[in-house]
Amino acid sequence: MSDIWTQRILSFSRSPSRFLSGTTAEGFLAELLRELRDDRATYSLKVLLLSPLCESPSLLCLSDLLGEETALELMSVFNQCPPKSVQFRCHLLLALTSVLVCTSCVNNRSRASQDFLDLLLQISQDSNDLHGDVALRATACDCLREMEACSPGLLSQRLELLDGLRQRETSRLHQAYAGLHTLVLRNAVYQLTQETGAGAEHLKALLGGNTSVAWEAELDLMNSKDDSAVLSSLIRGPMGSVPTLQTGPDCKELRAVLSSLLEESYLLTPLSQAALLHRLTEVVAMVPGVSPAVFRAQLLRLLGTSEVCLFHSILLMKSAFTDSLFSAEDEAFLLQRLVVLSQHPLLSPPEKLFYIDCILSFPENRPIGCGDDALPVLLTPRLASVLVPTVFNDSATLLARLHLLCLVYLEEEDEGEEEGRGLGYLYDHLTSLLQIVDNGGSREIVVTFFRAAFLFLSYFFPVECFSHSLMEELCSLYLRHTHLAPHFINLADHIQEQLSESNWATEFLKALQGAITDAELTSKDLSWHLKMLARVAEEGEIKQQSTVNFLSHIITSSSLCVKGDWRLGNFLLWVCRRLLVHPGLDVLLIPLADVLQHLACRYGDTDIRDHARLYYTLLTTLSKDKLARVLSQGYGEGGGQAKKLTFSCIVAESEGLTSLLTVHQAKTIILKLVEEPQTETGSGLNQNEDNPEEASVALEQYRAQFDVPGFASEIPLNYQLTHSESADSCFDQLFSIRLHFSLTDDHYEPLGDVSVPCVFRERPPPSVKLRLKPRRPQPTSLHASAIFTTQDGLSWLTDLPDVHVAFRQTFLPLPAPETWGRGSRLSLFDGLWDEMSREEPTGGATSLFCCQLQEEALKTLVEKHFLPYLVSDQSDKEEIKVLFFLPPQSHLLMRIRSEETVHFNVATDNWQLLPHINSYLLTLTSSQEDTHT
Amino acid sequence: MSVRALWIISHEKGEHLSLRFARRFATVEHRAKILAGSSYTAVPEDNTVLQLLLTELGLSDPDKPFVALRDDCLYRQRSPALELRVDSPGKGMLWPVLAISHGPITLACLPLVDAPAEPRPALASLLSVSQGLTLLAGLQTFLLGSGSKPDIEVLASRLAMLPSVLLQVCPLGTPLDVPLPGAPSTPTVPTPAENQKQPAWKTGLHRGRAAVNVALIETVRSMQYGNRSRQDLWDVYGTVTCKCEVEGVLPNVMVTLTLPPNGSPLQDILVHPCVTSLDSSILTASSVDNFDGSAFSGPYKFPFSPPLEPFRLCSYTSQVPVPPILGSYQLKEEETQLRVSVTLKLHESVKNSFEYCEAHLPFFNRDQFGVVDVKVSSGQLDVSKEKNLLVWGLGQKFPKSREVTMEGKISFSGPTPGPTDPLCTELTAYIKLYFKVPDMTLSGCSVDQHSVQVYSSSKQRIITSRELQSKEYFIWNSTGSAPVSSGQMML
Repeated sequence: MSDIWTQRILSFSRSPSRFLSGTTAEGFLAELLRELRDDRATYSLKVLLLSPLCESPSLLCLSDLLGEETALELMSVFNQCPPKSVQFRCHLLLALTSVLVCTSCVNNRSRASQDFLDLLLQISQDSNDLHGDVALRATACDCLREMEACSPGLLSQRLELLDGLRQRETSRLHQAYAGLHTLVLRNAVYQLTQETGAGAEHLKALLGGNTSVAWEAELDLMNSKDDSAVLSSLIRGPMGSVPTLQTGPDCKELRAVLSSLLEESYLLTPLSQAALLHRLTEVVAMVPGVSPAVFRAQLLRLLGTSEVCLFHSILLMKSAFTDSLFSAEDEAFLLQRLVVLSQHPLLSPPEKLFYIDCILSFPENRPIGCGDDALPVLLTPRLASVLVPTVFNDSATLLARLHLLCLVYLEEEDEGEEEGRGLGYLYDHLTSLLQIVDNGGSREIVVTFFRAAFLFLSYFFPVECFSHSLMEELCSLYLRHTHLAPHFINLADHIQEQLSESNWATEFLKALQGAITDAELTSKDLSWHLKMLARVAEEGEIKQQSTVNFLSHIITSSSLCVKGDWRLGNFLLWVCRRLLVHPGLDVLLIPLADVLQHLACRYGDTDIRDHARLYYTLLTTLSKDKLARVLSQGYGEGGGQAKKLTFSCIVAESEGLTSLLTVHQAKTIILKLVEEPQTETGSGLNQNEDNPEEASVALEQYRAQFDVPGFASEIPLNYQLTHSESADSCFDQLFSIRLHFSLTDDHYEPLGDVSVPCVFRERPPPSVKLRLKPRRPQPTSLHASAIFTTQDGLSWLTDLPDVHVAFRQTFLPLPAPETWGRGSRLSLFDGLWDEMSREEPTGGATSLFCCQLQEEALKTLVEKHFLPYLVSDQSDKEEIKVLFFLPPQSHLLMRIRSEETVHFNVATDNWQLLPHINSYLLTLTSSQEDTHT
Repeated sequence: MSVRALWIISHEKGEHLSLRFARRFATVEHRAKILAGSSYTAVPEDNTVLQLLLTELGLSDPDKPFVALRDDCLYRQRSPALELRVDSPGKGMLWPVLAISHGPITLACLPLVDAPAEPRPALASLLSVSQGLTLLAGLQTFLLGSGSKPDIEVLASRLAMLPSVLLQVCPLGTPLDVPLPGAPSTPTVPTPAENQKQPAWKTGLHRGRAAVNVALIETVRSMQYGNRSRQDLWDVYGTVTCKCEVEGVLPNVMVTLTLPPNGSPLQDILVHPCVTSLDSSILTASSVDNFDGSAFSGPYKFPFSPPLEPFRLCSYTSQVPVPPILGSYQLKEEETQLRVSVTLKLHESVKNSFEYCEAHLPFFNRDQFGVVDVKVSSGQLDVSKEKNLLVWGLGQKFPKSREVTMEGKISFSGPTPGPTDPLCTELTAYIKLYFKVPDMTLSGCSVDQHSVQVYSSSKQRIITSRELQSKEYFIWNSTGSAPVSSGQMML
């Protein structure tokens, strides 16, 4: 059982989120509490069970209420726990503190927190130690201190009590009381400073413990005012301001408390002593009535200390009191000490580094500048010279020292003192680091060197002699150690980014380009060279001819292409890719095209050949602007300068390019074709009377027309291309739409593609004219799809809803010769009718369709649907003759007579049309009936 | 003045990472949240913290030559306060993460920033930073001892004790003390009712005969170049370690250091916090200051009340006019072999009585030794098993002339290449001296047995000792280019 719990607690603390994903916080909390009450569990297990409550109470107690309940549970466990299990009882107190503080129960002064506070005070006053251990009392004191720290002012009313406890205690426990007492004192004084009108009397009352009820209420109010301000340290260097309490010179009670605390400070451990000094420094800083001189007696003892936190508390004191406690001599001494400590052989590296940091923000009595990195005036180059970096330093020390010395010599430069030997030394140091790197130094040395180089350049790039010769040194280092290319690129990137006013990085890259293209080539360096050249090609200001020549040279003069290494191929392409977007592309066009073509034809790897071909095509077909736009997309996405260089990035990049150059399939329907509203054109025939021909002659003339190939063989269909309702807003503006149609049957000839320049959602839809060429006059459906480009340059493929071509859409008016008038048409009509009515096996057929229609309704129907096809005169009420021509060569003729019912006499030369015309008429007339009944 | 979390990890050069101990302090985290307001970054789960920590320490992905996050050349102040960039879910920085490493063990903690988060406060304005460093150093000593090689089993048992140790020294994230090194904390002896308060740093009281042991150890370091353009360097620092067994809650002891007449003053004196008071003149002499002839030169009195365990009472540095052993080292490359010529002279002021004295001549970036034809005027010459190091044992005494020489030739034709070192290439080579001289100091500083005063009624036994030892004592080949070891000699 205990093992299972140990495992569970362990896995909770390793990853609370994963643990709680397998259970619930409430459930786990309940289990913990149950187990804590279980008498069979050992106390060492119970201590372990408390750790989730100590470390992550807010993950388990999700509400304040739950926190309150948990605390009450824990307190009852505490009360029932035998006094001898001290460790467990101590941990219970810690868990209770954590739960109550983190669930805001302490801040809200909840019942449980009040009970717990009483319990703690009771334990801390129980000096009998009946149970033989002061550990519980010490823990209780620390719990009180933590509660006061998290909820400042909580114990303000108990100052006198705490003072008494501290004074009376002679065991080691006095340290715990002293820590608690000073914190409560500091918070109480802070609260008084926030109180308008508070003064010496209030302070006295506070220390005497006889606070009146009146400002007890006020204090509570205060509590909620600004939590972060009261929690912050009040000693913040020259910029910080400290709230003050005006007491006048008379505050002997406070002075008495302070000197009693300070006198005994020697008895505290260095850590507690430093905290006490810091708190008391804050108190004295807030009460101008007390002179900082109260600390003087402690100073001598502390100035020589080897303890980092004690010396630090002196520095903080100096920051708070400046020349009211520290003379100019003291200041010089402190700085000197800091320099000594920063390189003392007996101190640990982190301590020395901390002291170097303290030099950088040394609290001067009279600071001149107050920016970052303002060096103390007293830090002369001579004094700082003991801190110059050497190759024997560890990396962190070396860099910290270099940073400090850069600042020192920068100031020296500014003051125009002798062209610094110091700077020369730093440069020599840099070159000796470079030597070590050159001799095959470890990765750590390499990284350190590049950091040092960056640091040096960032301060001294204007000093040409150094920055220039460093550039040369770096170039030759690169040629000897090409595998360091990522470091070189990283350096160039950061110099460029940080020192925008300098063109060092560009010059450096140019020098590298020169070095690479002039160098004797070895195959192991090639991939690094290519990486480097790719970076160089990013610089618009650097001419790229030599890079292209280099590429051309390596692919033609070596076996590179034959070997066809995919990785190298990618590096090659990577360089080409950068060159494609280089602003100087015009000059490079032909040689670069040659390189790409060579790769496309000769490279031994298909993938590389394909990519090269793609680049070649892009280069030779796209304009420079378009090319740059196409290639700059997906480039720089995902940031990280260095990331651009990683291998996977090349793949990612090519994926990006692919996405740009392939067509995406739209998931929803984006476009649709809508039939254009019919514009009434009338029958369009020549209204002039003419000399009607004989029916047979008319037929002959009419049929002769069909000898011309393609005569009247197409049905024009007019549509509008519009957005579908569901289309995403990124498709609002579409360009270069190409519509493609495919047939669903073989009644029609295949249809050509149709191009539309653009479709904007907010503009009127463009019209699309389809010319269908029927083989047989039948209704049909067309599958339609569209390829188009969106604003971001991506291409898309989308399906359109099928286009249905209805039977009526396959009609055309009679394609009679232009010279014909109505008479000839009527003759033709009669001639055709006769032919169709003959009962010969010509395929002709007649039919009769009858229906009930009012005269008026019939008129409307004719006007609405048959006008273009009308052969008889519109005024002829007796018999209406209608002729539908259905390409390629079918006819449908109707004689409509209105008697009791309306008779549609139909004749056709293609009997297969009869079912269609029947249903067509049925639809027409029924809709007409509807409108009239 | 508190820490939000504490981690102890072990790893081998970035691999085999394991979290040995972790502790989060919920109430301090609660304060951190209030203090930082909107710029608050929660401490991520342990695995994330560890990965970020390793990256920042330059230890992650040991098999990759370049990782941008780890090897970026942008200079940030890293050590001692690291900055961990937390990616998800709440992007932000964990700062200042303190980390100290010793061998395979790294200890880290995250001190509370008790100042407005923006702009970032100076490290020097946060007391929690120096406290965190003290806590980490104390825990490190507790876990690993002060010895150089950590013992795995001891480490494991100490780690198991850590929860109860933290209950005493840092129960709620505010460090109160550091654990006593080595010994497990003993239950305190109840103090007799006295008026005198017991120091918090004293775990109990001594009963029995008083004994005071004062040991003075001076360490000398040197860089000798045998080159006119470069000044040879040497420095000396001393430490006084005490073990006091004296009765009483707060007994007084006084140790006095004295210098011989015309001895140069002790500088950069640092004292243990148990020293009760210091004369300001003791602190005035400093190694970084212009040497002031009128400076105080003793006697140096250190009144203190001792803790029970051994402690370092004080340390100093001193400027001595000559190095104890002056050496010259010359190498000449001759076709297939290297001609070696060494002279070591013991200064007359140094007692010619060593506990040991050895000169090591390593040869890097070459093949193993082939033929070693080298003669020494005194002592014994050994070739290391790896055949790349000459060990010249000089025994307990230099000859009467106080000068020893080594002459000869070495050829390098061994079957396998020897060790490499990026610093010591070609003729850049050194001799490293290891020696210890009992009962002497270079500065002349001494602790007289009779000058140790113990204000106690009972009789005391007082033992004092002193010795000189070398550390980083290099003699560089004067025919090669030696690396610069201090800027002072250049400026």
